Amino acid sequence: MTEKTDPSPILIISELVKSFSNQRVLDGINLEVYPGEIMVIMGGSGCGKSTLLRHIIGSIAPDSGSIKLFGQEMTTLDDKALNAIRKRFGILFQSGALFNSLTIGDNIALILKEHTNLDATTIEIMVKIKLELVNLREHADKMPAMISGGMKKRAGLARAIALDPKILFYDEPSAGLDPVTSAQIDQLIIDLTKKLHVTSVVVTHEMDSAFTIADRMCMLDKGKVLKVGTRQEFEWLRDSDPADCPSEQDRLIRQFLRGDAEGPITERKLTSDYEEDLLMASLKHEK
Amino acid sequence: MLNPHDIIKNVRNEGSAVVLELAGEIDMQCSTELRGEIMAILQEKPSALVVNMSQVTFMDSSGLATLVEALQWSRRNGGTFRLSGLQENVRNVFEISRLESFFEIYDSEAEAMAQ
Amino acid sequence: MSVCESVENSSENPSFARRWLAIVGRCSIGVTRSFLGKIGSVFLLLAEATQIAFKGFFLPGHKLGKEALFFQMVRVGIKAIPIVILIQMAIGMILPLQMYPKLAEFGQADQIATINAIAGFRELGPLMTAIILSGFAGASIAAELGTMVTSEEIEALEASALNPVRFLVVPRLLATVLMTVMLTVIADVVMVFSGVLTGMKLGLDPDTYYQMSVSAVNLTGFVTGLVKAAVYGTLIGLIACHLGLSVKPWQGSEGVGQATTNTVVYSIVAIVISAAIFTMIFYSYGLFN
Repeated sequence: MTEKTDPSPILIISELVKSFSNQRVLDGINLEVYPGEIMVIMGGSGCGKSTLLRHIIGSIAPDSGSIKLFGQEMTTLDDKALNAIRKRFGILFQSGALFNSLTIGDNIALILKEHTNLDATTIEIMVKIKLELVNLREHADKMPAMISGGMKKRAGLARAIALDPKILFYDEPSAGLDPVTSAQIDQLIIDLTKKLHVTSVVVTHEMDSAFTIADRMCMLDKGKVLKVGTRQEFEWLRDSDPADCPSEQDRLIRQFLRGDAEGPITERKLTSDYEEDLLMASLKHEK
Repeated sequence: MLNPHDIIKNVRNEGSAVVLELAGEIDMQCSTELRGEIMAILQEKPSALVVNMSQVTFMDSSGLATLVEALQWSRRNGGTFRLSGLQENVRNVFEISRLESFFEIYDSEAEAMAQ
Repeated sequence: MSVCESVENSSENPSFARRWLAIVGRCSIGVTRSFLGKIGSVFLLLAEATQIAFKGFFLPGHKLGKEALFFQMVRVGIKAIPIVILIQMAIGMILPLQMYPKLAEFGQADQIATINAIAGFRELGPLMTAIILSGFAGASIAAELGTMVTSEEIEALEASALNPVRFLVVPRLLATVLMTVMLTVIADVVMVFSGVLTGMKLGLDPDTYYQMSVSAVNLTGFVTGLVKAAVYGTLIGLIACHLGLSVKPWQGSEGVGQATTNTVVYSIVAIVISAAIFTMIFYSYGLFN
């Protein structure tokens, strides 16, 4: 089971609010992540989960609220302090986001060269070790344009762990991967967490992967946290009878977890003013 | 501990072998120091170098890479390179990188010396 | 007034013209404001890049990628050399041919050499080189950086605590400046050479032509030409980097295309305007004699 010997959270998000052109993308997010656990953040497209991740890594500044990573308030840091923190976490972007002008190996070596004083030989060995972790060692000399999307993602993961970060963020790690590669990435996330005590925050909407790796899960909807709980709680909700779910919210989460075509999420879309809209269209042309 | 990065605790000669005792956390800041120390020891071409890691509480991939390099230098010298007394989380670093069988790893220093 | 009336009459909506006026007014205020804002951020970029380049050259421990600079110089400049030669050959021919009839009328046909050399070294060499490079270098830099934004590469650099200005802008900016200056030297020489050929066709003595060209161009003329080239190169590099990095991730390939087009247009406008400013300044300080 998860070790929760260290009671203080490594990441605390409180009352985070962000709007883009009058639309609230994040609407008062509260979330705590503890050292050594895998927290999976789920939600439909446009629920704000990727935006949340971008706030945590300091790419976007929030309108209000606070993000504390390693006990430091991220939202008020200057560039220098922010960069010091950035060396302590790793992030895997959705597309892998490799530096296209460098080989796979140099993508990883660059970070080690820039941020450490290690000897060139040590760096070369480290690059090989990292690439072996993601099964890409024999592709070290290839350019990113020459490899497949799944390989790019794995190379991106190797780069994310270049500096042995204490916390790793994953943006849709298994989206668009074949089942075997996807399972390998899941296993790697678990291994890193259980064996090296790395904390993982995974944003995903792939439910199979989510239930494989998660210690705890968090469901986002319309910029709000619907529910945070252990994997077991979510499993129970998924496998429960609809009759056992008294609240609208639970039924909504249940539909999402099961991937059902019918449920509150679909109803919500149906109840929008479809008929009125059609009638308005014919009215406009009569004028 | 005066200097938190002072990981080299002791170096002693046992016959034709050398024992290097490490302690603390081997991270990216002190791997370079470790590398220099090992290089200096191997310059003397000992028949064996035993690294006692029983007091190492943490090691990252830069430490691992340094040990790989040390193994290579030892082999070139015709000597042997052994590790002993790995704590569980240090052993995990070897395990996750699939490098356990790459090294000769012993439970205790005495066992490593007996070989 | 009559225009307004006719517009108003032509529309069923009585406030049609006023609405359009308001839109035009609001747009021009918006455009002015965003234009000033753009100029501001371009200069901020210049300040940051200069600071980083300065540190890289003079302070130990601040690495500046020499290979990256060389790579960018090759990319920016080498492919443009044939085009520069071609265009300068043409201009070195056009100018004398246009001038010859009038000058010959006054018995000053020899002065073709002087005019061609002065125009080439002081104005047309740097100007044409810069315009060619704004298409070659500027467009490709903007497209490259814009694509890097859309593929999350810039974000990845920042998240890895690596400064995009240091890694991407500085080598590209330096390369553009250096290559504009170098290609300008080539352009200058080609234009004089082309002028000699044209002069020969017109029956002028090549030796005299050459002598007159050399005496027409003094050190000031040559150096001011290169200074201009350096400034044009800076403008191209800055505009390209700024517009490329200003692409928003969600704009995708459309944003990249827009940035590329804008880079060429803005660069040429900036180059020609600064050419006019240079000429005014040099003229009033008597650098033309």
